[in-house]
Amino acid sequence: MPMIAPKLIVLALFISLLSQPIFNDVAEQAGLRFRHYNGMTGKFYLPEITGSGAALFDFDNDGDLDVFLVQGNVLEPSTKPTDTLFPWRGPESPRGKLFRNDLTIAKDGSRSVSFTDVTQQSGIVATGYGMGAAVGDINNDGLPDLYLTNLGSNQMYLNKGGGKFVDVTKESGTDDPRWSTSASFFDYDHDGWLDLMIVNYADFSVTNSPNCYAATTARDYCTPRVFRAPGNRLLHNKGNGVFEDVTVTAGVNKEFGHGLGIVTADFNDDGWIDIYVANDGDPNQLWINQKNGTFVNDALLAGAAVNRNGQAEAGMGVDAGDVDGNGTEDIFVTHLMDETNTLYVNLGEGLFEDRTREAGLGMPGRRFTGFGTLFFDYDNDGWLDLFVANGAVQLLPDLIREKNPFPLGQPNQLFRNTGKGSFVEVSAGAGPEFPLLEVSRGVAAGDVDNDGDTDLLITNNDGPARLLLNQVGNRNHWIGLRIVGNNGRDMLGAQVEIVTATNDVLRRRVRTDGSYLSANDPRVLVGLGQATKVKAVRVRWPDGTKDEWKDQPVDRYVTLRKK
Amino acid sequence: MKIFLLILVITSAAVVVCSQTPDLTNMEQSVREQIAAAQAALARIAKDPAPTETALSDAYGRLGEIYHVYSLTSAARDCYLNAGRLAPKDFRWIYLLAKLDQQEGRFDDAISRYRAARTLKPDYIAVLVNLGNIFLELNRLDDATESFSAALQLDQNNPAAHYGLGQVAISKHSYADAVDHFEKTLAQVPEANRVHYSLAMAYRGLGNVDKVKAHLAQQGSVGVRVSDPLVDSLQDSIAGERLHLSRGKIAFEAQRYAEAASEFRKAVEANRDSAAARVNLGAALTQLGDLSGAVEQFEEALRIEPGKVSAHYNLAVLLARQNKHDEASTHLRSALKVEPNDVSARFLLAQELNRQGRLDEALIEYSSVVQADPNNEAALLEQVRLLYRKGQVKQALDGLEKGHAQFPQRGHTVVMLAYLLAASPQPELRNGGRALELAERVYNTTGAVQHGALVALALAELGRCSEASDWQRRMIAAAEQQRNTNLLDKLKALKFNENAQSCRVTTETLADVLLFEKN
Repeated sequence: MPMIAPKLIVLALFISLLSQPIFNDVAEQAGLRFRHYNGMTGKFYLPEITGSGAALFDFDNDGDLDVFLVQGNVLEPSTKPTDTLFPWRGPESPRGKLFRNDLTIAKDGSRSVSFTDVTQQSGIVATGYGMGAAVGDINNDGLPDLYLTNLGSNQMYLNKGGGKFVDVTKESGTDDPRWSTSASFFDYDHDGWLDLMIVNYADFSVTNSPNCYAATTARDYCTPRVFRAPGNRLLHNKGNGVFEDVTVTAGVNKEFGHGLGIVTADFNDDGWIDIYVANDGDPNQLWINQKNGTFVNDALLAGAAVNRNGQAEAGMGVDAGDVDGNGTEDIFVTHLMDETNTLYVNLGEGLFEDRTREAGLGMPGRRFTGFGTLFFDYDNDGWLDLFVANGAVQLLPDLIREKNPFPLGQPNQLFRNTGKGSFVEVSAGAGPEFPLLEVSRGVAAGDVDNDGDTDLLITNNDGPARLLLNQVGNRNHWIGLRIVGNNGRDMLGAQVEIVTATNDVLRRRVRTDGSYLSANDPRVLVGLGQATKVKAVRVRWPDGTKDEWKDQPVDRYVTLRKK
Repeated sequence: MKIFLLILVITSAAVVVCSQTPDLTNMEQSVREQIAAAQAALARIAKDPAPTETALSDAYGRLGEIYHVYSLTSAARDCYLNAGRLAPKDFRWIYLLAKLDQQEGRFDDAISRYRAARTLKPDYIAVLVNLGNIFLELNRLDDATESFSAALQLDQNNPAAHYGLGQVAISKHSYADAVDHFEKTLAQVPEANRVHYSLAMAYRGLGNVDKVKAHLAQQGSVGVRVSDPLVDSLQDSIAGERLHLSRGKIAFEAQRYAEAASEFRKAVEANRDSAAARVNLGAALTQLGDLSGAVEQFEEALRIEPGKVSAHYNLAVLLARQNKHDEASTHLRSALKVEPNDVSARFLLAQELNRQGRLDEALIEYSSVVQADPNNEAALLEQVRLLYRKGQVKQALDGLEKGHAQFPQRGHTVVMLAYLLAASPQPELRNGGRALELAERVYNTTGAVQHGALVALALAELGRCSEASDWQRRMIAAAEQQRNTNLLDKLKALKFNENAQSCRVTTETLADVLLFEKN
C-alpha cells in the first residue's frame, strides 16, 4: 500500500514552543531520587563510564509508568563503595531501584506525579555492577517482566503481580556471565512468545585492563578495542518458562563486535522481525530474519554497517522509526565526538542510505559523544523528532582546566523533524537541563503523567536521574494505543498504522527496545497535529495477521486487543 | 601606532602564555618539559623590549603547534590567533586555525579562514580539499563540487578531490559519475581500501550486484588522506613515547603493521629505556616477518625490565615457533612468576608442556586456565582431551557440561559433549537422547559430514539402528561427493547392524575426528 506522508506541522504551535521550555525536570520533586554510582577509583576502568540505563514500565498494571533505575557498584571486590573517588553516600549498599508511580489526576485534569521507592518489597535484588534493563512479558500473563544486564551475570525477574518479582535467571536459562549491555525482547519465530537478544560489549576484567593514554599523553579510558569482543546471545523462549540458547543455530554468532545498542524491527517489511546491533568501533550488524529460525547479517550490503565513507564508527545507542513517513523503519546510531551520529534512511526492501548530512544531523553530532537516543514526537505534529543523550568517554581538556572532577560532561540535544527530510536542533529552548554538562547515558521515553505527550527519563553516570516532563506536546491532538494480545501482553513488534481524517498514514511500532541500556513505554503515542479524527487503526501483529479498528477517538488512550 | 598597541596587548597576554593555559599535570614528563620550553621561549621573546613581530608570531605559532599536536585545542587556538594577528600574511597560522575549526565542527569559521588562507597560498591543495569536505558535510553540494574541481585543476589526479567528487555524485544519486571518481581515486591510492565501500554503494545504485559484492569483499579501514605537509609536519613535534605508543597501537589494531612499527620505533627513540615501546615494536616486527628484529626488541625489553611479562610471553611465542620448547617454557614460567593470573601465558605454557609430552603438568595448567577464564574454550577442550586420554572420562564430561552450561553456543564444546554422551568408552556415562539432541543441533547448523556421523552415533546409542545406518549411508555419500577420503574410510568402518536391537558402538569410534581433530 502506498504510504502518504503526513502534513501536520502547525506553525502556531512551533512559535509558542519557542517561548517556553519544552521539558521540565520533576525527578526531585516527584520523589524520583536516584544518583548513579560508578565506583570510580582513578584506575580508568572502562565500565565506570559505560552505565547505566533505566526502564519505564507499568509493573503493577495500574495504568501509569513506573521506573527502574540501574545502579553501578565497585569494580574491585576489595574496594569499599565509600572509599572510591566519588564515595557512595547512600544508607544502604548501591543497588538498582524500583519506583512506583502514584500518579494522581485532579478533577480539573491537573496531574501530580509522585514516586515511591518499592525496591525492598519488590524482591528485586540488583546489587551487581548494573548496566541495562529490558522489559517484556515472557510468560504471557499480561505482566511485564524485567531483564537486567550486568558486568557479570544478568538477572531475569519474573513479575508475579502484586508488586512482587522473582529471580528466575537460573531456571529460565537466561543468564549471561559476560559484560552485557543492551537487550531486546521480540518474537522472532511467530510462536507467540517473546524471545531475547542480549548484546555483549568486551571481555573486561580489572586484571586485564591496560594503561591507556589520551592524545594529551595523560592517562585516560581505553577504547573497547583493547579487549576482546565476547559475542552476543539469542535466547528462544520455549513457552514453558525456559529459554534455549539458539545463538549458534540461529547464526547470530557468525559476526559480532563490541556491542552496545540493539533495536529490533521489521526492517525489510517482510512480516518478520529483524535485529540491528550497534557496535563500538566495529561494523554494525543487521540480522535479517530468514523466517526459519535463522538470521543472516546483511548490514554491509544493505548500507547500514558503516557510514557513507565506509568507516566503522563507535556505535553506542540506536533507535529505529519512520522519520520520513515512507512507511519503513529508519535507523539512527549515536557515536563518538569527532564522528557524526548517523542516520540510515530506509529506501525500502531493507536497503539503507546514510543521509546524515542531508538531514542536518552531521555537524551537531560532531561536538559530542552520543549514547541514548530516541525517535519520538515531542510536539505531536506527526513527525518523529530526535533526542540524543551525550557525555564523553575521554577526559575533556577544557573541563580538566576548569578543575571539573568528572570532566566528561556534555549537553544533551533535541532535534525537531521538519517533515522535509531534515532535522533542526532545538536544544536551546528544550529546557534548563539540556545545557547542563552531565554524563548522560540512558534515556527512556514514555508518557509518565498520561497527559498525551512523551516524557523522557534520562540517566547520568555519576549523576542524578532526570525525569523531563513534556510541557507542550499535548497542545496538538494525539491518540495513545496500548496494543495487546488475547492474554493482555504488550505485543512488542506489532506494526501500527494510523489513518487520519485526511488519509495521512502514520506508521509506528510497539516496542520497548532501542536507545541505550534502557526500556521504553510499550504504548504507541501518536501525534496528530490538528487532526481531530482517526479514521482507522491497522495493526499487523508479530505473527503476521492483521486487524483494523475504524473511527478511533483522539486525545485519549485506547487499548486494542488482538481479535 | 596600531601595530605598537597590538604588540602591547599580545605581550601582556604572553605573560599567561596564550590565555587558555592547559592543565599539564597528568601529561608525560617529556611532553610537559617540551610545552614548558615552548612557553618559556614565548615568554622570553615577549619580555624583549622590542620584539620583532615575526619572532613573536613564530613563538606563538610554535607553542600553538605543540598544543595542537597534543589536542589541547583551546590553548592552540589562542596561540594561533595571536600569531595570526601579528603576522596576518603568514599562511601557517590562519590555515592551522581553520584546521582546528574544522576538527571541532566550527564550519563557518573554518570556511572563512580557509578562504583567507587560499588567498595567501592559492596552490595549497589541502585548503581546497578541506573546504570541499566541509561543504560536503554541510550538504552544500555545489560549493563542494567547486572546491574539489578547483583542487583537480591544480592536480588532475588528486585522489582526495576525486573521492570528494565521488561523494558529491553519490549524494546526487549520479551513480555512474560516482563510480568514475571512486575508480580514479583507487587508481591513485589503491591502498585506500575504504573507497571500495563507496564504490560498492555506487554500483548498488546502478544495480550491478556482482560489482557490489566484489568491492565489498575488498573494503577495509584505510581511507583517503589529502596530502597536507603543514599538518603532517606537526607530527614531528611529538615528544615522549606515549602518543607514539597510542598511535602505534591504533595502527596495529587496524593491521597497518608498517605504520605501527614506525610509530613504535619513534617511541623507542623517545625513550630508549621503555620496555613497553620495545615490546610493541617487537610485536609489530613479528607481524612484518622480521623475527630476528622482534627477538632483539623483546630481549632488550627484558634487559630493561626483567619482569616484563609481555616480553617473556612474546619471546616464548617466537621460541615455540622455532621448536625451542624448553626455552619457551622458561620464559612463560618467568612471566607467570611475575603475573600468576596471566591466563594467556599459562595457556601457552600448557600447550608447550603438552607438546613435550609432559601431560600431567599440562593438565594442571589447562585446568588452572579453565578455572581462571571459563571463556577460554581452547583450554577446556585440551583439558578434556587430556582427561580422556588418561581415562578420566567422567571428569572430562563434567568439564564439558560445566562449560556448555555457561556458554551453550560454543560449537566445539557441544560436539565433544555430544560425542562423549554417545560413544564414551565408559558406557554408563552415555546418554543417547541428550547426545542426539546436541548432535542434531550441531548438524543443523553446520551440515558437516562428521557432525552427521555424530547423529548416527547418537542414534546407535539409542538403539535406533536402522536410522543410524541410514545416516551413515548419507554421510558416506556426502564424504564421497566431497572427496574426503580420510573421513570416508572411517565412516565405512562404522558397523551398525540395522536389524539388531542394539548397535551401540564399543570402540573409540571416530574419536580422532570428533574429539581430537582441531578445526
